[in-house]
Amino acid sequence: MVHNGAVVDTAPGAHDPISVHDQVVRATYACVARFGMAKTTVEDVVRESGLSRATIYRHFPGGREDLLRQAIAWEIGNFLGALADHVRDAPDLATLLDDGLGFARRAVVEHDLLQRMLQTEPDRLLGLVTTESFKTLPFIAAFLQPYLEREAAAGRLRAGVDLAEAGDHLGRLILSLIGAPGRWDLDDPAQRRMLVDRELLGGIRSV
Amino acid sequence: MAALGGTTMGTVLSARILDAARDCVARVGVSKTTLDDVAREAGCSRATLYRHFAGTGPLFEALIQRDLDRLDRRLAVATADLVYLADVCAAVLTTGVEFVLDHAALTTVLAVEPTVLLSAVSFDGSELFFARARALIAPHLWAHVGSDAERLAELLARIAISHLSSPRTEAPISDPEVVQHLVRTYVVPGFVREPTSERVQP
Repeated sequence: MVHNGAVVDTAPGAHDPISVHDQVVRATYACVARFGMAKTTVEDVVRESGLSRATIYRHFPGGREDLLRQAIAWEIGNFLGALADHVRDAPDLATLLDDGLGFARRAVVEHDLLQRMLQTEPDRLLGLVTTESFKTLPFIAAFLQPYLEREAAAGRLRAGVDLAEAGDHLGRLILSLIGAPGRWDLDDPAQRRMLVDRELLGGIRSV
Repeated sequence: MAALGGTTMGTVLSARILDAARDCVARVGVSKTTLDDVAREAGCSRATLYRHFAGTGPLFEALIQRDLDRLDRRLAVATADLVYLADVCAAVLTTGVEFVLDHAALTTVLAVEPTVLLSAVSFDGSELFFARARALIAPHLWAHVGSDAERLAELLARIAISHLSSPRTEAPISDPEVVQHLVRTYVVPGFVREPTSERVQP
């Protein structure tokens, strides 16, 4: 890229598409945190990232909507990564679900930007969060698979449980509970234990 | 007699206005439906409409309430005479899912302005939604699970919402056999009552 490379993309690694992508997404997220989604423009992202408008459009051909969607997806990815790290070493599936629900609920309540956007622009936010959650459900189900397999190998599952289907079912309930705890107080360990033992694992774990 | 006649007339007109509101929403969605549209559809003046419903807020609230009453009657019919908890849960889920999928106004909102529904079932809006779902479903479960009825009602509502918003293509929730399987495998085991002393005695 002799004709433009030297002028615009001077930072080391700037030609690495992953790092440019990451740089733009982080810059977009910073803009959203500062201005909100409705007011964030491509020009803001240009200024924040230090990259050219042309570079940004090359990586995000959908423009502004594309940037916003990927910024939300990036933060959901961060959240899921932190959640996965938090529960990775759990000794069994019940402990994993118990700890994971407590951690996830705290993360949602304490996420300042999420809470602010739920007040100021819930429609835009929920639209994107929901589109991305179509990808979140398979992620959670896939994450749970090895743990379900371990439970099965240890003889702790009911006979005939379909592991993929059980993972899908658990993923649905987990996503539902994180977004909307309903009558459950997920900060209360006794309630979480009852929720996990009866509603999440009632039909999965052998008694 | 005059007062009684007046009330009946008012009730008939209210029902016609609610039908009109439902048809408008089914055509263009919630946010584009105005009181003028509804008055035109109902064939009454805006002033008359306003005497019954002081704005789109109260109008849509009355529409929701009427739908909840209708679904409540369907749930009563679907669960009457059922003996086993699994059958009751399956009947509740199947009736609820059918109600949503057959509802022209709800399906339009889902298609053209899904965030209106999403904000009602997630985060801050979800408290009212689940309170309503529990109030609607739990009475149909009392005879089977007693004080666990609210807990079970909420679980069934979660399952329905999840499958309606993210369908499992290989096992659609509109299929009664899928519902029976889900309920028997994952729901009922968490709600079976402890065996009572009468049962273990000969």
